[in-house]
Amino acid sequence: MSHSFAKTAAVYEKEVRGFFLSPGFYVVCFLCTAIFSWLYPNILDQFAQSLQTFIFQPDIPKQQLNIHYRVFLPQLNILNLILIFVVPALTMRLFAEEKKLRTFDLLLTTPITSTNIVLGKYLAAISAILGLCFLAFLYPLATSVMTSLHWAPLIIAFFGIYLVGCVYAAMDLFASSLTESAVVAYVMAVIFNMGLWFVGVGVDAVDSPNVRAVFEHISINNHLMGLVEGTIRTNGLIFIFSLIFLFCFLSERVVESSRWR
Amino acid sequence: MIEVQNLSKSYGGIRAIESLNFKIKKGEVVGFLGPNGAGKSTTMKILTGFMAPTSGSAVINGFDVFESPIEVKKCIGYLPEVPPVYTEMKVRDYLRYVAKLKGVEKNKIESAISQAVEKTQLGSVEKRLIQNLSKGFRQRVGIAQALVSDPEVLILDEPTVGLDPKQVSEIRDLIQQLRGHHTIILSTHILPEVEATCERIIIINKGKIVAEDTLSNLSNLRSGGQIVNLRLKRPGEDTEKSLSGIGGVQKVLGKNHEWTLETQSGDDMIEKIAAIVIQKGYGLLEISSAKADLEDIFLKLTYGAEL
Repeated sequence: MSHSFAKTAAVYEKEVRGFFLSPGFYVVCFLCTAIFSWLYPNILDQFAQSLQTFIFQPDIPKQQLNIHYRVFLPQLNILNLILIFVVPALTMRLFAEEKKLRTFDLLLTTPITSTNIVLGKYLAAISAILGLCFLAFLYPLATSVMTSLHWAPLIIAFFGIYLVGCVYAAMDLFASSLTESAVVAYVMAVIFNMGLWFVGVGVDAVDSPNVRAVFEHISINNHLMGLVEGTIRTNGLIFIFSLIFLFCFLSERVVESSRWR
Repeated sequence: MIEVQNLSKSYGGIRAIESLNFKIKKGEVVGFLGPNGAGKSTTMKILTGFMAPTSGSAVINGFDVFESPIEVKKCIGYLPEVPPVYTEMKVRDYLRYVAKLKGVEKNKIESAISQAVEKTQLGSVEKRLIQNLSKGFRQRVGIAQALVSDPEVLILDEPTVGLDPKQVSEIRDLIQQLRGHHTIILSTHILPEVEATCERIIIINKGKIVAEDTLSNLSNLRSGGQIVNLRLKRPGEDTEKSLSGIGGVQKVLGKNHEWTLETQSGDDMIEKIAAIVIQKGYGLLEISSAKADLEDIFLKLTYGAEL
């Protein structure tokens, strides 16, 4: 068991190095900070203005005066959008490139299991996403210098978006395992991520209350909203973790299948 | 050590290998010989547990490659056709990664890497990125990778492909050095390589074993005959007739200045032929005898039906 763990750790270490020592990851980080540095001050400024004028609008909903709703929620939505396109860029090479460079042969002929391989790579991917989420978290952190914040709902909200990133990573890892071409893996992964996002749109597009309930349950946005509001619901967590497990399992099956195909 | 029984593999409808049977003893160096597309790589991939056979079984060190692939992989070092190197890693880091994957004990990893580096003479490049290395060095990194866990069985798939002659002879020397410590299976379609390194040869063609024996036994396959090459300065019109008239000459080929004779074996044949040629005044420039070599045997066994 400890041996198996050491091998997962070896794959993890190699992939994390691959992320954090490669210029590509820092280009992505740069683009993310560029987007946030442009949009976040704007959002914050709008919120500050509406605070100054709210006396003249007595019927304004109370939510509109909450920094969590007016600043952090839009920021997380932007982060979600960024993750939809950035996570595939991080994960696309994890399997596709190994197959193309034939280093996959090495992995399959060393005494490690498919589970070791997938787990090591998946953990590395979500470590990189953690780095991105940390970058985004710097902005609310900077805001806290100017005002007092409720940390618990803020951290839960970021935890929520991180979990969504983890779901993307699982799906995108699966996409990468299906092909030899990094480009195909990227496109497929973006489609997967958008598909997940469109499920949320489906909630508004159906009439039947039963179908609507189903959509609401499988909409990741719905679960994310709960977390953003600072409520942790076990059904949401279970749904998210089962998605992650499902796609990691599928990737493991694809890797394993190349042994007997 | 290695036992293969009725091993078959088909891709779609195409049979890559068909009921292979062979055994390899501990410490042997075995050459796996065959033209391109004969099924060499497929066999090796199955032996390494990289892919499963369609039917039949392969047992290495007492473990079936399909039933307990992890155990099998622990005792195998494998160099695929394309060396499986991560180009963005440094040589030493790469070997460390492979050593970890192969489960080399933590406190032995560094010494294992140093040994592999020393054996493959990579010391001068161990801190360089693999992407900056020449093909020859990459190939050596590939071999170092196979050696790093000090496996009992080494499976090398065309280890000298694409190397320059000096590098080829270095790799051959390396394989010679490894002899005895490891059981080695070497696949190639380059004959001198086999002659230089292997004790036993398995010749495979179209997915089937066509010959399996030691090198000396195979060389004797065509014994009972020798070939004499002649070069003449002033051949006459009756040259062919007088050459075939010599006792012991079975066949005369060629015209004008170049002649090839198939004769009985024996040193006196050369003497007889030379005497006749000089006596007739054809102007003997060169006479040499060629033994049937591995190349002939190989061609006869693999392409024989078509020639």
